[in-house]
Amino acid sequence: MIRGILASTALAAGLAIASVSASADTVNLTIGKLLEVTGPLSETGPSQDKAVKLAVEYANEQAKKAGVAIQAKDVGADVQGDPQAAVSAARSLVDQGASCLIGPAITPESIAIANGVTIQKRVTIWPVGTSMRLRTIKDEGTIFRTVPPDSLQALALVNAAIDKLGTANGKLASVIYRNEPYGEGLAKDFSAAWTAKGGKVQGPTVFDPAQATFDSEAGQAVANNPDAYIIIDYPDTYAKLGAALVRTGKFDPTKALVADALAFSTVPSNIPPQAIEGMRGTRGGTPTGTDAYKIFDALWQKAGGVEHFSLDANSFDSATLCFLAAAAAKSSSPAAVTDHVRAVTTKGAPKFYLTTLADALKAVDSGQKIDYIGVAGAFEFADNDDPTVSLFDIFEYQKGKLVVLKQIDATK
Amino acid sequence: MTEGGRRGGDAPSLAPQAWRRLSPALWLAIALVLIALGLAVVVGPVAAGQATLNGLVGAGYFALGAVGLTLVYGVLRLVNFAHGDMLTVGMYIAIAIMALGISFWPAAVLAMILTALIAMLLDRIMWEPMRRAQTSTLQLFLVATGLALVLRYSVQFFAGSQVRTVGLDTISSVDLGPWHLGRLQLVVMLVGLVTIVLAGIALRYTRLGKEMRAVADNIALAEVTGIDTRRTIRVTWLVSGAMAALAGILYAASIGSINPNFGFTILLSLFAAAVLGGIGNAYGALAGGIVIGLSQEWATLFFNPRWKPAIGFAILILTLLVMPRGIFGRKKARS
Amino acid sequence: MSVEFWIGVGVIAGIYAIFVLGLQINVGFTGLLNLGQAGFMSIGAYAMGMLVVDAGWSLWAAMPVAIAIAVTAGLLVGLPSLRLRADYFAIATIAFAEIVRYTFQNAGFAGGNQGIIGYDAEWRALAAWLLHQLAHLGLGGITQLPLFLAVWFCFGLCLMVLRLLAASPWGRVLRAIREDEDAAAALGKNVLVFKLQSLAIAAALAAIAGFFLALNVTYLYPSEFDPTFTFLGYAVLVLGGYASYGGVALGAVLLWSLMEGLRFLHLPISDGQQGSLRFVLIGLALILLSMLRPQGLLGRKAEMRLRR
Repeated sequence: MIRGILASTALAAGLAIASVSASADTVNLTIGKLLEVTGPLSETGPSQDKAVKLAVEYANEQAKKAGVAIQAKDVGADVQGDPQAAVSAARSLVDQGASCLIGPAITPESIAIANGVTIQKRVTIWPVGTSMRLRTIKDEGTIFRTVPPDSLQALALVNAAIDKLGTANGKLASVIYRNEPYGEGLAKDFSAAWTAKGGKVQGPTVFDPAQATFDSEAGQAVANNPDAYIIIDYPDTYAKLGAALVRTGKFDPTKALVADALAFSTVPSNIPPQAIEGMRGTRGGTPTGTDAYKIFDALWQKAGGVEHFSLDANSFDSATLCFLAAAAAKSSSPAAVTDHVRAVTTKGAPKFYLTTLADALKAVDSGQKIDYIGVAGAFEFADNDDPTVSLFDIFEYQKGKLVVLKQIDATK
Repeated sequence: MTEGGRRGGDAPSLAPQAWRRLSPALWLAIALVLIALGLAVVVGPVAAGQATLNGLVGAGYFALGAVGLTLVYGVLRLVNFAHGDMLTVGMYIAIAIMALGISFWPAAVLAMILTALIAMLLDRIMWEPMRRAQTSTLQLFLVATGLALVLRYSVQFFAGSQVRTVGLDTISSVDLGPWHLGRLQLVVMLVGLVTIVLAGIALRYTRLGKEMRAVADNIALAEVTGIDTRRTIRVTWLVSGAMAALAGILYAASIGSINPNFGFTILLSLFAAAVLGGIGNAYGALAGGIVIGLSQEWATLFFNPRWKPAIGFAILILTLLVMPRGIFGRKKARS
Repeated sequence: MSVEFWIGVGVIAGIYAIFVLGLQINVGFTGLLNLGQAGFMSIGAYAMGMLVVDAGWSLWAAMPVAIAIAVTAGLLVGLPSLRLRADYFAIATIAFAEIVRYTFQNAGFAGGNQGIIGYDAEWRALAAWLLHQLAHLGLGGITQLPLFLAVWFCFGLCLMVLRLLAASPWGRVLRAIREDEDAAAALGKNVLVFKLQSLAIAAALAAIAGFFLALNVTYLYPSEFDPTFTFLGYAVLVLGGYASYGGVALGAVLLWSLMEGLRFLHLPISDGQQGSLRFVLIGLALILLSMLRPQGLLGRKAEMRLRR
């Protein structure tokens, strides 16, 4: 009997010690959200917020399932569409213990934050801006992007256009973009690449997002019956521009190509179907058959609230990658997380997807290197921390839903 | 108003003052038609005509939005920087009412009433005390700016900053030969025109309208002649609020995609229209709106559309420097 | 809530303090409702940026030239518009500021939507040296400290100069113009010239504020110079006190401590609602202050005259 008591005491003590050390070992990760809540880009705020929240919830759930001791919480700050406010926002998040900052939306804000806060504190930021100018600063490995840079996406657009038209030679592409950094950068890269292949460019027609009518702009875009329309825009302004294009009576959405900011699994309700049905586009590609998008979309619809918006899947992926990196580092210190991002996106390592996130967490917990493929694409970060995978989806909107037609390598 | 002179021979059928009032409008119309014809020669009638039509659509938005602004300024000498956000408030109230299942036009009317009441309430608690204390222009400006922030971000607090839509048909268009016009846009133009003309007529011929003009001219004198100036001011705010709501609702309906920033971004164009037309005058808002709308769209025939907003501001500055009274204005504009 | 964060807030407060010194001389001392101050700031900042990046100048040489350019803009804007009545002048200046912003956003020469970077290399070198010196005092860890010290030192200089001017005969004429323009004119003072000088000084101060903003953010981008900047500047002015230069510093520090401190307030509402609430509170503060204590914290009611 004494042996029994001793044994059960030892067992109880062992369990107590194990549970204490287990809870002491739980990594508590804080993920910061750099949100456009007020200011000229405030339409993007709510969906980015939702994307990161969903990622954190899902990852927490999967971590519990996998028995990996890491939990995360998200905390947000308003970037106000202004680089100065963005720096303050970033600083306030870092002060609250954020190890990664998801966002911000545009490259000027990203560079301001990098120079002001994150490079020095070795906190990773995950901007959604696509300009190559971001890579002109020395970021010491702290700026990762899950969005393909303009240079690659422009090539993908050219490819997609040639795929539709057969050739670029002599074909007229009418370029229209919204007057802000994303549109300008991508439109410029596309025009250069298109004319290099013998194509002709009409425009670019640039529109100011706050205008009351877009009829003149739409009229300019549809002039001369172009062979293709290249529209670099966001859903809130496309609702207005698209309606104006349809009203000209000369617009054919099947001739239009859009970029990733206008890519969503279900078309938002304010975009008229006649403006988007049959339209094609490009976005960062994920190996097909992974069901990752289905799960992401299911999570999104189940949560209710705001509809899909641009690049929300990319923010979702950024948050998941941060979570994985912290799990691999077994620590939430920003420097440790920064150093382990590549460990979870290693080319050649075993691949994991959103559907196998629990297994991915187990693998990194045991010290393995993995290659996590996100909802919005594979990353395998290059030396400059931009995604190397040049895989792009060419998709088409059919009956209000995004359907992937094929995948291409933008560099080929 | 004295009737026109019978000075021997045939008397003119219109009083001399009426001629003077008529001629700015006539001159403006003649100038605009000439420019339109000139453009038709330079870029072709199809392009010029379409740009003119687009400009008139824009004019509808600016004019309707500017009427409330100009009335408040005329009667109260208040530059209401919060007016743009009253458009936003009206628009979002309408959307909220529609979310309860009520259809568009009843919801619009209800929203107009509610916004008018809000405007009157704001006068009661804010503007009236400041009028009594005879506050300076600076203070009024600061209060208006603060109010603009409160209105806009309160709407955003409850409704979020994501884009919303009224859900009406923004696609159907009306074809007029080689030119086209959105059906809803046509509605906006017509409603705008009718509303402003009604307002002008009401100002001219109803007792309330005459009282408003009297208060606008000289409030002390109006008091002395027995006009209940407080009531007149209250009515001014009711009308201004209702017009703002109508402008916002029609804008939301025909443009199809709105968010809380909209009212503030359009505010400066509304000022441009009001000042250009002659601040304090309802027909001035119409004239100003037409000029700004047409200029912006005509400019796109020669410049990249990205410059459209700057055109409006440039016209505003030019007007202030060259013709500060505006087209129909009578107020002293120099210090 | 680290020291680093509050020093960062101090930098923003300092930038606004210099900016509002310019507003104060216009509003508090000359009676001009200048709503275009952000336009002058952006002209100064962009001029500096373009001279350094495009023309290869040294930062230290570019700054005085950029100030001169901003002052010229002030004179060009003031000449035609200063004869307008107060509220029309206000509208004209805000229209000017918006035209400047749209020009910088759309014209190729200013970098357009991509903005301008790379002008701060010399400042960074200086800041690194300063930080090294500060390390001797044990303060080497606060990277924002050099900029903080520079901004407030500059503010102090500007404040001294303005105080001297205010006490001088020139300053007295300015105040006379604020209180009764016609009387001042009747006494033979060329009112327009004095007003122009006031506007020119404001433009110069705006340009200096612009330099510090550019160095703080390391990126010149049009939305940094939107009307909100001017409106918040007026909030600082109202808070600190009408016709009080010292009050400007107090107002700036208080307002920005509040604005940025509110980032840490976590109510049980969404992040979106928190962001909106911040601005609702600022708006309410503006309204209440203007209605209940228009002279601000350090201003004197006697200084406020009814000017229509």
